[in-house]
Amino acid sequence: MSCFEGQLASWVAPAHQTTVSTTQTIAALVAEYSTALYRVAFSVTRNAAEAEDAVQETFLRVLRHESRLGEIRDYRVWLVRIVWNIVLDKKRRAKTRPEGEDIADHARALPSSDRPADDSAISSQERNRILGLIDRLPTREREALLLSAVDELTTAEIAAALGTTESSIRSRIFRARKELAVLLENEGITR
Amino acid sequence: MTADRMNNPMDSGADPRTTATIDAALRSVGAVTPTAGLEGRILTRLASERVKLEAAPPRLLPLTRFGRRHPVPARALGLVTACLLGFVIVAGSVVHSRTIKPGQVVAPPVLVLPGNGIGAASAVHPAAPATAPVPAGQGSRGRSTRRSSPGRARIAPHSRKAPGVAVPAPSSNPSPNSPN
Repeated sequence: MSCFEGQLASWVAPAHQTTVSTTQTIAALVAEYSTALYRVAFSVTRNAAEAEDAVQETFLRVLRHESRLGEIRDYRVWLVRIVWNIVLDKKRRAKTRPEGEDIADHARALPSSDRPADDSAISSQERNRILGLIDRLPTREREALLLSAVDELTTAEIAAALGTTESSIRSRIFRARKELAVLLENEGITR
Repeated sequence: MTADRMNNPMDSGADPRTTATIDAALRSVGAVTPTAGLEGRILTRLASERVKLEAAPPRLLPLTRFGRRHPVPARALGLVTACLLGFVIVAGSVVHSRTIKPGQVVAPPVLVLPGNGIGAASAVHPAAPATAPVPAGQGSRGRSTRRSSPGRARIAPHSRKAPGVAVPAPSSNPSPNSPN
């Protein structure tokens, strides 16, 4: 190997290693956060296909900006913010409330082991009516409430994703639940 | 985590059954699971996107594209452009330096604003012009101005004079500027 070839190899090798490491990083991000992101997307779209599209679009954006991966402090918040913007953007474009609700998607909801048994007794019709009422809440309260429903997100992470403080998120969730309870009692949707 | 948020004591204002219904509905959204193989589908799409990104030629400006295709003329063109630019800069600088006369001081620009007497103390109050404007015609001349005729001073013959002051005899041909 000539001197030039040796130099060239030393220049190219780190670049190749960088590509490999970013690919591995992205694969690790997919493995760790894809389900959480799917839930975040689903809380807005209420449609499995649209939620999956949003998650895929999120990771495509990550791939396009892979050079920035080293600058990110909290991947979870960063990814939630990306998927959140994507689904809100899609919803804004659609200009409609989630009408394409996939009832079968609700049936796929996992009954987690620590959940009380009576929680799963809610009918899908009742659930859809409650979700319809959630959509009638003010935007800030609705967003905080929907993100609070995602298991993987802490209040601090929701606050970071929405660009506000934890106390603000707590008060938004409180107001949302209060208003929702009033709406439910008015409509007579109680078990 | 979510359960802690949902069972927040702040929420205790509502009916427990209503709260439980809300929690159940929210859990149904927050605990939904994607269809099997989501990760695989995402990774496949990412791999195909990466292949596309690597296969796509980089976007180049027209000048860069020309430089890649014809390196020698492009370099020559660049050299000529650089020389031309350098000449223009040097020539312009020399011409400019020759137009300035030695000792010429460039006065700073003076901002003249119409003053109405009201304003901040720090405002610019330009001084009034040193000379009054010249009137347009003879009749409009100011009263204080007087035109003096050339020649000697004239003293009226009957005026009282101090003793010893000689009074010249009146001339037979008075000047046209005389008051009489």
